[in-house]
Amino acid sequence: MKGRMTTEARTLSIRFPEAMVIPPTSVDSWPELSSDEITLLQEATVKLAEQSVADAASNPDTRLEHLVQATEEIRASHNTLESRLVEWVGIFLPSLDLDQNRNVIVNAVVNSSDLVGVSNHLGVTVAEVEMGHKEWSSLQSLATSVTNLSGDVQRMEESVRVLANIHLPSLSLLLGPLLAAKLCSTAHGRARLARLPAGTIQVLGAEKSLFMHLRQGTDPPKHGHIFQHSWVCRSPKSTRGPIARMLASKAAIAVRSDHFGGEPWTSKQVAQVEQKVGEIRTRRKGVMK
Amino acid sequence: MKSFSERVRIQGRSLWSRNAVKGTSLRGERLTRDGRKEWRQWNPRTSKLGSALLKASESGLLPDPGSTCLYLGSGHGTTISHLHDHLCASKNHLEGTIVAVDISPRCIRDIIRLSNTRPGILPVLADCRQTEYIAPFLSAKVPWLFQDVSQSGQVEMFIEVCHRFLAAGGTGLLSLKSASERETDGAFEKAEDALVEAGFTLVERIDLAGWEYQHVLFHVVL
Repeated sequence: MKGRMTTEARTLSIRFPEAMVIPPTSVDSWPELSSDEITLLQEATVKLAEQSVADAASNPDTRLEHLVQATEEIRASHNTLESRLVEWVGIFLPSLDLDQNRNVIVNAVVNSSDLVGVSNHLGVTVAEVEMGHKEWSSLQSLATSVTNLSGDVQRMEESVRVLANIHLPSLSLLLGPLLAAKLCSTAHGRARLARLPAGTIQVLGAEKSLFMHLRQGTDPPKHGHIFQHSWVCRSPKSTRGPIARMLASKAAIAVRSDHFGGEPWTSKQVAQVEQKVGEIRTRRKGVMK
Repeated sequence: MKSFSERVRIQGRSLWSRNAVKGTSLRGERLTRDGRKEWRQWNPRTSKLGSALLKASESGLLPDPGSTCLYLGSGHGTTISHLHDHLCASKNHLEGTIVAVDISPRCIRDIIRLSNTRPGILPVLADCRQTEYIAPFLSAKVPWLFQDVSQSGQVEMFIEVCHRFLAAGGTGLLSLKSASERETDGAFEKAEDALVEAGFTLVERIDLAGWEYQHVLFHVVL
């Protein structure tokens, strides 16, 4: 009975325990509405709907999801545009080492007024080509966009960190706010992430290889997004599976305490997990010998 | 020319509804004038009810003008707007009511905008499975109920909702996409059996092939 009551009805029935509760799902016993009342119902319904749409904005899950996706997209476009710019400038500066000087190249183009200026900045020779003013200014505006984008990425990541630390304090402490936010958005919300088994959290983000495994019987994935954590990706390959498994189960506990209002984690619990990571690494070393 | 009602008809090969808000086309549908009446094309590709009207051999798919309808899974309101043309007409002078329920805030905000120009549409943001959140907006059992929610377990949902909200003798329409169920094979047969077992009379099983992929609309009467 209680389970089928609205929140409002539940509050009222606690306040007035002697009142009889009629299940709201029965619509038979209602009096017929007059046409004024129908108009009133119409207006009230629209107001309620507007209110509930506005309430949806307070849901941090959707905000976090937009932030995380936007960061990903901006980062992707920054990477493409940067490599395009470096290759483009590179054809004019034949003696430049393109791999070592990536960051410098972008800044040099932004701060120079022509190609010779860039070559002076970088201390290399310039190819004998005639470059029109229009071509140079498009090259430079691309470079400006690249610097702007890299600033955007920083800003966005900073706001992801802030929001994740509020919304997922324990998980952020364990995995870092960026990874916590990414897991949350891949799982479509904290409520769902908190209900996922650890095994699923372990492979969140490795859907492609997981379904390859289920369909074609390839090896199952050992880690999804969780690979990005330094305890996993900086460990020897043979220990990554066990560490990812252990870390995912701890992450499951952390996100549950975030979602269901448990006690937030402190550095003490994180230190215990780190100790376990160390144990796994040394145990595996023993196996290898 | 075939007419479903005074306000919905087939002309040539296309379906039209009489536009309740003259001069406005919701998603760039074609408008044609016929004396003082304006007709708005009802695209069967974006509306399962529209495609069912074109493919059904039995009548009785549309509700009586001026009645109250429950529409679960309203989406962005394409079908709702044509249903409004039929049920409420201009300035709701037929005094019909469409209770449009959807789980997505993004969809409901479109319905809210729609209801500003088309009185008679009641937008409700709710999960269709939580019937206690829908009940307050209905003052009596409805004679017509449409469900198009595309999620697993929608047949059981339809049966429960109909038993709560559909009046005896009322029309229930269930749009079913086999890919929404966990087991795709035999989903339609299973659904049909479940509906008959739950006490519905199956009027017609309308295959929407040609307009929608792997979709069937069940037309039942309680």
